[in-house]
Amino acid sequence: MNFNDFGIDSASLAGSLETRLAAARQAGFSHVMISASDIVGHPMSTASAVRAIRDSGLRVTGLEALRDFEGLTGKMHEYKVDVAKSMLELCSRIGGRLLLTEASASIHAEVDADKIARDLRKLAFLALPMGIRIAFKGFSWSRTVKNFASAAEIVSLANCPNLGLAVDAFDVIAAGVPLEDLEAIFPEQIFLVQLSDFMLQEIRSTEEQAATAAHFRVFPGEGAHSGELAKFVIKLEEIGYFGDYSFDVYNSDYLQMPAEEIAGRARRAADWLGETVLRRTLPVPNMERLRAATSD
Amino acid sequence: MSNATDRESVPESSNPIGMDGIEFIEFTTSRPQALGGVLERMGFHPIARHRSREVELYRQGSMNIVVNSQPSDIPRTVVPIERPIISALAIRVRDADAAFRRALDLGAWEIPVRAQALELNIPGIHGVGESLIYFIDRYDEFSIFDIDFRAIPGVDPNPPAIKGLNFFGIVQYAGVERTSDWSEFYSQIFGFIPIPDDVRFGIMPRGLLLQSPCKKFFLQLIEPDGVAQFAPMEEHLQRIGLGTSDVIATAAELEKRGIEFLATDKVHTSNRGALTKAVLGGVMFELVHTDPSDSAAHP
Repeated sequence: MNFNDFGIDSASLAGSLETRLAAARQAGFSHVMISASDIVGHPMSTASAVRAIRDSGLRVTGLEALRDFEGLTGKMHEYKVDVAKSMLELCSRIGGRLLLTEASASIHAEVDADKIARDLRKLAFLALPMGIRIAFKGFSWSRTVKNFASAAEIVSLANCPNLGLAVDAFDVIAAGVPLEDLEAIFPEQIFLVQLSDFMLQEIRSTEEQAATAAHFRVFPGEGAHSGELAKFVIKLEEIGYFGDYSFDVYNSDYLQMPAEEIAGRARRAADWLGETVLRRTLPVPNMERLRAATSD
Repeated sequence: MSNATDRESVPESSNPIGMDGIEFIEFTTSRPQALGGVLERMGFHPIARHRSREVELYRQGSMNIVVNSQPSDIPRTVVPIERPIISALAIRVRDADAAFRRALDLGAWEIPVRAQALELNIPGIHGVGESLIYFIDRYDEFSIFDIDFRAIPGVDPNPPAIKGLNFFGIVQYAGVERTSDWSEFYSQIFGFIPIPDDVRFGIMPRGLLLQSPCKKFFLQLIEPDGVAQFAPMEEHLQRIGLGTSDVIATAAELEKRGIEFLATDKVHTSNRGALTKAVLGGVMFELVHTDPSDSAAHP
């Protein structure tokens, strides 16, 4: 485990794509999660965005996010297959090897596990010739798959080698999922782990969780749940996870601050996790507000 | 060969698209004469030309090789552009349209239809790298070649094969840790079955061997070794394997025709197989010993 295991998410940073890539690079990161809107929203052209990413010297952790894909039928299914193909092509153009796919929140989605598994399997097959892996992520306000344990069941049911899981620490901590649940997951099934903390001590409703998830996340070590995050990462190491970690910090305040400053905060989070938490050679810094005993 | 499935009552779905061998293998190159020369030394004869496209058909025995030099079909990502690539595999199936629809339902990418007069619309999907896979159901009395191609006058349309050579399989180079992905791809869409590691043919044993559900064709998936692991992922159909019951005699015959075989400590002609030296920037053929009485490896 070292600093290079951690990547930054371009959605944490303000400014042009080039500014954000440069900030990530300057802070020492080697990989970056890219949003599809970063590419297609480029003021010059999609091709310019692709070039900026390829020339940045940063590896692409993955492309985010395909949403509301599974569980649809008829024309809606066909439409979503076209959307997925377009995103896969985009992912391939930027040299990405992973497409983050979030469980459906659509009211039109069927919740039948076999249907969901079949659709995800199809998505994985679409991605297969391009060498792209599908990281499927459940979350609590999804209609189809509400957490990583259910997502793991679906992934097992679909049983396709390039289909796996994205596990988001936020969803685990906010929903109070016991860490022991991770022990039921095969580490090779986990394709991506996303890490973020948040300031609220407790989240009381799904609505509050959704709002916090979209606007009030902070970097690991900056929020109210450093202790739980540390345990989460240590548990993943214990079960044998060896893939990428990405900081999925979506914070409206951070988008009003200079990208370099935010990338610097991300760097401190990576240093804390890499050098302090995972090696456990130093105590957790004083800046953390530990609630160590609460989750035990 | 005693494949495990031979001993059980195999459900019909083990050959889900009714695969029945290979109709043709296509090369694409901007230098068709140079490749044609290599094919002729390998025993293939040019027998027909496409009616409207720069495409030529070579044949020996049961094997058809199509050489495509249509400018619009030459992949732009292949550098240098002159290097021939194996650009398509045409699979004989019971019902081409049904096989195609089934593949799309599973998540295959369809290739754009070429709508031109006097041309059959052959359904196809994207395969590895730049390659395509076609589904063909006209191969008994009338073949696609009878319709789309014009015979070259005065040429035997069915030249015999040197020493009974036949298509044995194709070697595919896969990316690092990509064997299971491609194995899944060929298993689900075509019904290929991985065979045990201790069953090996030829002299190049690395990788995973998959056998077609019709038992007439093999795919061999090979991941990069050593430092090649750190190169950018390059995946493609690398070479054609030709089956023969007598490798030594076949190699001798081909050498007489001007084909050179590798003769190093590690790779050299033996009873089990042989590998030709790469020409034209990477074109090579492998000879593989097959037992004529063994239906598993010989059509």
